[in-house]
Amino acid sequence: MIRVQNLYHSYTNDDHYAVKDISFEVEKGEIFGFLGPSGAGKSTTQGVLTGLLPLQKGKVVVAGYDLHKVDNRRFNKIGVSFEQSNVYGKLTARENLQFYAKLFDVPTRDPDDLLKMVGLTGKENERAGTFSKGMKHRLTFARSMINNPELWFLDEPTTGLDPAIAASIKDIIKAQTSKGVTSFLTTHNMYIAEELCDRVAFIIDGEIKLIDTPKNLKLQYGKKLVEIEYIKAGEAVKETLKTVDDADRKRIGEIVKNHEITTMHTKEATLEEIFIQVTGRGLV
Amino acid sequence: MKWWSSYLKEMKIAGRGFYFYIEIFIAVVMVVILLFFVKEHPQSAEKQFMYYDMTPFMFNIMTNKAIDDGHLRMGAEKTFTLRPAEFKVINEQTGSSEPMTVEDKKQITVKTLETIDPETGELLKTVYVTDNKEDMIRLAHQERQMSAVVRMNEKGQFSYEYFLQGYETQRLVNLLVVIHDEKSAILQTQMDRQQIRELESGSTLNNRENILPLFITFAGSLMGFFIVMAYIFLDKDEGVIKAFAVTPSSVSTYLLSKTGVILTTVLISTSIITIPVMGTKANYPLLYLFLLVTTFAFSQLGLLIATFYDAFEKAFGMLYLVMIVLMVPAFSYLIPGFDPVFLRVFPTYPVLMGFKDILLNVKNTGYVWVTSLVFLLAGVILLWLTQKRLSKTLTV
Repeated sequence: MIRVQNLYHSYTNDDHYAVKDISFEVEKGEIFGFLGPSGAGKSTTQGVLTGLLPLQKGKVVVAGYDLHKVDNRRFNKIGVSFEQSNVYGKLTARENLQFYAKLFDVPTRDPDDLLKMVGLTGKENERAGTFSKGMKHRLTFARSMINNPELWFLDEPTTGLDPAIAASIKDIIKAQTSKGVTSFLTTHNMYIAEELCDRVAFIIDGEIKLIDTPKNLKLQYGKKLVEIEYIKAGEAVKETLKTVDDADRKRIGEIVKNHEITTMHTKEATLEEIFIQVTGRGLV
Repeated sequence: MKWWSSYLKEMKIAGRGFYFYIEIFIAVVMVVILLFFVKEHPQSAEKQFMYYDMTPFMFNIMTNKAIDDGHLRMGAEKTFTLRPAEFKVINEQTGSSEPMTVEDKKQITVKTLETIDPETGELLKTVYVTDNKEDMIRLAHQERQMSAVVRMNEKGQFSYEYFLQGYETQRLVNLLVVIHDEKSAILQTQMDRQQIRELESGSTLNNRENILPLFITFAGSLMGFFIVMAYIFLDKDEGVIKAFAVTPSSVSTYLLSKTGVILTTVLISTSIITIPVMGTKANYPLLYLFLLVTTFAFSQLGLLIATFYDAFEKAFGMLYLVMIVLMVPAFSYLIPGFDPVFLRVFPTYPVLMGFKDILLNVKNTGYVWVTSLVFLLAGVILLWLTQKRLSKTLTV
């Protein structure tokens, strides 16, 4: 559904590339996570793929359309949910979706159904300008589904939402995927990536460091950890130790033998910890 | 279809915003000013300096007759201070140039004659009569007004020598020749030229109507130049342009829907200004056509300029400057005797003259049609250029 080969992009039209020599493919029906901290090149890559930024160098095919050839019909197959809500504040929620639906050449979904799906029932006739940040975000998210997209670009889809709404958004994404929709998810939230993505790419400083499934990454980079909290000289102390490391195993034995244990848990390395391990950088 | 739904959406947004109502409010203010504060026939401010090269006896006979006929009245004497000056007097017929340098500063007191409408007694023109030709020329130069020497020969025939500023319209020069030249061959030629407008239309605009082309041009056609850009930057701020950019609709659909809103607004605001003043006298079909075409072109110009900026605040200065420059031809319009050639290259010049022709309801509408065609072509070219530029910068 997406094929990117040796993509470069420079905002200054020189050798200072925001993304450089990145290549990847996204298969139909897959949720592909594009993970990285702010300024890593996520938005630039998505900008090129969605046509918001011009393709300067490299080969990109999106939904069967070569981006070197301008063809707006490709947008009939694409939906884009932006990180920053961008709806008409002076139009009502329903009017926003009704207007947007008329811009496509393919059958579109019922605006009221979409509003119900994202929990905006009862707000159909209210102007978007009066909405909270989260409500605008949901409206933007609903709009991205208006044309039944085959390929869905999701930029931080749960950012700023309360946990209950975020959970319903994730459910919608899963439901769309079960219908064969391909998703390109851009985020710096490793938990949502871990939960939703079939494969993830780690991008930093404009370069992709690795691409794999979350499961493989954990097998390859994750190490079983033990988190122990114990009492030492009357104070609570917490240590995280690897079960595969001899020195750490010896240390666990010492703690158990010499101190009063308050809590002791085993845990898996998170995707975020693996990201830090692979790239040497955090996600914020 | 996409354009239509975009246009309806834009109209809905405009109707819920304040720019639309500002334009309507401005139109209402303008028509109130025109109807209640601008007189149809105001007191004339036209001044002229004359030197009568004849005996006082003959001068008195001449003026007394005009006073008796009700065309003239004597005004209070007026004192002018003549300042040192250096300029040239060029003879139009021979091409010879005579430098004139005056270094003294002096005060002169001149007679004042007021030409009046014999029926209403309304002041038409104030004529200041100097005692000699040199003072008259100095005054004309200092006050930037037309002046004339009136002579009477021994046979009792009058001759006139006019001193103009050099930037007067050829029509005015022709008119003076027509009125005073004794040579019948030249007179015939000049009369042929005069036929172009004055004789054919047979009507003139009163003072109130005469101001309308200015209002229509600057609050109508030029309004699009400014407002369309404000609409674009509002969209940029809301980020909705990005959402539009990821649909199958084209940039031109977007631009034309915005332009459609401007055209609709301008049609409404211009009607508010024009209909109460002109009644049924104007050629409305041609007025609206000309208005739409010129507004379309100016809107595209505003859009093109806007593409070079990423924020309204940055573009504002440049747009304001261009607007001021485009308003310069108003001077030529308001001062009929002032018509330097360079003003004709300003696009607002033909627009002003075109609206005037339309309001005059002239029979020969060729000028308006040709101007409309030129503006339509210019608008299409500007739209194409704007679209090319916006395709690269609209979403950045």
